[in-house]
Amino acid sequence: MKFVIQRDQLMESVQHVMKAISSRTAIPILTGLKIEAKETGIKLTGSDSDISIESFIPTEDNGIVNIEQIEAGSIIVQAKYFPDIIRKLPQKTVEIITDNHLNVTIRSGNAEFHLNGQDADEYPQLPQLHTDESFELPTDLLKDLIKQTVFAVSTVETRPILTGVNMKVEEGYLNFVATDSHRLASRRIPLESQTASITFPSVVVPGKSLTELNKILEEDQESVEVSVTENQILFRTKNLYFLSRLLDGKYPETSRLIPEQSKTIVYGQTKELLQSIDRASLLAKESKNNVVRLQTKENTVLEISSNSPEVGKVVDEVTADSIEGEDLKISFSAKYMMDALKAIENDHVKIEFTGAMRPFIIRPIDNDQILQLILPVRTY
Amino acid sequence: MSKWYPKKGRVILHVDMNSFYASVEMAYQSSLKGKPLAIAGNPEERKGIIITSSYEARAKGVKTTMPLWEAKRLCPELIVMRPNFDRYRIASKEMFKILYEVTPYIQPVSIDEGYMDITSCEDQGSPLAIAERIQTKILSQLDLPCSIGIAPNKFLAKMASDMKKPLGITVLRKRDLPYKLWPLPVAEMYGIGGKTADKLKGIDVETIGDLVEADLFQLKRLLGINGERLQNRAKGIDPSPVDPDAIHDFKSIGSSETLPHDTTDETEIKKLLRHLARNVARRVKRKHAVGQTVQLMLRYHNRKTVTRSVKLPDYIENEEDLFQTGVDLFEHNWNGEPIRLLGITLQDVAEKKDIAKQLDLFTYEKEASKEKLYVAIDQLTEKYGENPFKRIKEQEEEPRTSFQKDFLDDYFHQ
Repeated sequence: MKFVIQRDQLMESVQHVMKAISSRTAIPILTGLKIEAKETGIKLTGSDSDISIESFIPTEDNGIVNIEQIEAGSIIVQAKYFPDIIRKLPQKTVEIITDNHLNVTIRSGNAEFHLNGQDADEYPQLPQLHTDESFELPTDLLKDLIKQTVFAVSTVETRPILTGVNMKVEEGYLNFVATDSHRLASRRIPLESQTASITFPSVVVPGKSLTELNKILEEDQESVEVSVTENQILFRTKNLYFLSRLLDGKYPETSRLIPEQSKTIVYGQTKELLQSIDRASLLAKESKNNVVRLQTKENTVLEISSNSPEVGKVVDEVTADSIEGEDLKISFSAKYMMDALKAIENDHVKIEFTGAMRPFIIRPIDNDQILQLILPVRTY
Repeated sequence: MSKWYPKKGRVILHVDMNSFYASVEMAYQSSLKGKPLAIAGNPEERKGIIITSSYEARAKGVKTTMPLWEAKRLCPELIVMRPNFDRYRIASKEMFKILYEVTPYIQPVSIDEGYMDITSCEDQGSPLAIAERIQTKILSQLDLPCSIGIAPNKFLAKMASDMKKPLGITVLRKRDLPYKLWPLPVAEMYGIGGKTADKLKGIDVETIGDLVEADLFQLKRLLGINGERLQNRAKGIDPSPVDPDAIHDFKSIGSSETLPHDTTDETEIKKLLRHLARNVARRVKRKHAVGQTVQLMLRYHNRKTVTRSVKLPDYIENEEDLFQTGVDLFEHNWNGEPIRLLGITLQDVAEKKDIAKQLDLFTYEKEASKEKLYVAIDQLTEKYGENPFKRIKEQEEEPRTSFQKDFLDDYFHQ
């Protein structure tokens, strides 16, 4: 195998596949990074058996040549050293050559590395997905779906299914839902008409997979093809192949847990509320649950306060756009509220309460595709 | 107005019973008086350690927590008795009764010591006269010796009561500090343990006087916020009030027990864990508390002791949760060697009223169903002050485990 490649291009791809490589894995070969060279381009592969990522660098892209002098072949290099080597090479181009004894030579300018490689035949075959159930999404929309939900997945393994994001298609909408049972984040988008008729099972994608995917995907209008089978999900763009295991088990039915009526509705400015909660939480951080209290006052004023006996207290007032319904006094986690408000995407927010001990809902004022739900805390 | 009482400031007494358990035994059986006596847990068994000893025994080098065999070696004529907790409980109750005759502002610290704020007791005489009366009364009515410190704050009162034992009364005024307090080694200071003393030695702080002189910035870097507090105390400043409710502050609740013989029998081990979990749960419940961290202590046949703990996502309070977490910890950490002692402790403990409970999407209905009740309580609380409704305390019939704390609980809840 031999090729000469632009260092920046190679580095970017290496960083992508590194997201899937773990130094702690049951299969030793998976600590390596697979490089395959063909006339059409270079393919890098990384996997920890939960997530597998392939990144492709085309020989030529829109008339720009990325790779030259290609001799086909493949090799496994140690992921512990390879990325740092590439990052620190002195020149803009890198030459990579292997011989018959699995020796890898990396050359750039006057620097020359010799690495021991491993036989690419020993690398497990990535499963090929066979499914018709796929659909396309603009990349930036998929990134929104992830960003607005994935923060709410559970970080503890007490209910493993809650560490994932529930993805399903319902009535022409694609739904993402995540909950750690203390708060819930959901986002849905209408599917394009040609894909609206697809059926695919309700699946649960590990939160970690989506977080990594979001880091790799570029913020652009290119589309991502999503394919789902019983136990795996594939996200594919022109040069990226991202395969993740799905979580086993049934995701709890959450739609019926969302209250339909409300007793108090607050309309307010997202940023102002966010800043006020942030201020109040400065002192609350010391206490056990980072709890702040919200109380409705006269003249559409919201009082936001927090009290940590050992540190001190804070009282802040925010003027709401309007308040409808009953007076309310409620305590909740400042962190959950801030996470939710950050996901709102709109300057104005509508918060619907049904009592101090019941979940409340936060939505942008003008659309019902984003829904954030938070369970309050009760002071005994 | 009395010249004995300051216009501003307070008068605090610290009453400290002298070798309490041993003294109580001597009061019950006067033939023991003047003899080296030690109270030890289970004298017949190998696990016995000295709980307390008389001054005669201390003179021979017998110390609290010393293994029994070592104490006997130092003092072969040592008389060893099992603790009679009932006797100590009764004696302590009587002792505090005498204190309460003077003032209700009493902060019990343990079964045998407490602080009194007598600032407003000038009608009963000078502080010294009050202290003498208390000491005489405890001695004549209960046949028990105590030492009393008189000072403008709790810290100085505590230091003062320690200066003359047994049967001492020591007045420690601010103007006395340079010659009474400051020459003492810093390790003698209440609140400074061996480790802190070592650290202080590292910055050439040997005496309490050195601590007063020490650079505050350096102290804070060495000991954190506690450095400032210790320096203030050394200067004679301690604003902490005599708090009658302080005994209810607690950070952990635990129970441990030695097995009758070393064992690797999991059934037996789990049985003991169950028993410990039950003990802890009972006390947690009595205190209306919850806790978030469970610690398991394992002591092996060779006295090697390990503690392992786990912080849970939620607060727990009941026996089953404690037991399950304890068993989990056990199964993950036991090395298979014979076990001598097990302990379960609930840590990060807080009173329910002080903590917030994060409601759960899948279970909140249960809590929400009581919402109207909570709203009503809230409104009444706003109107009348502290929550006018108290949950009915449950009666406990099983024997107590952690004697001191439980004793004080019982005493101050009746």
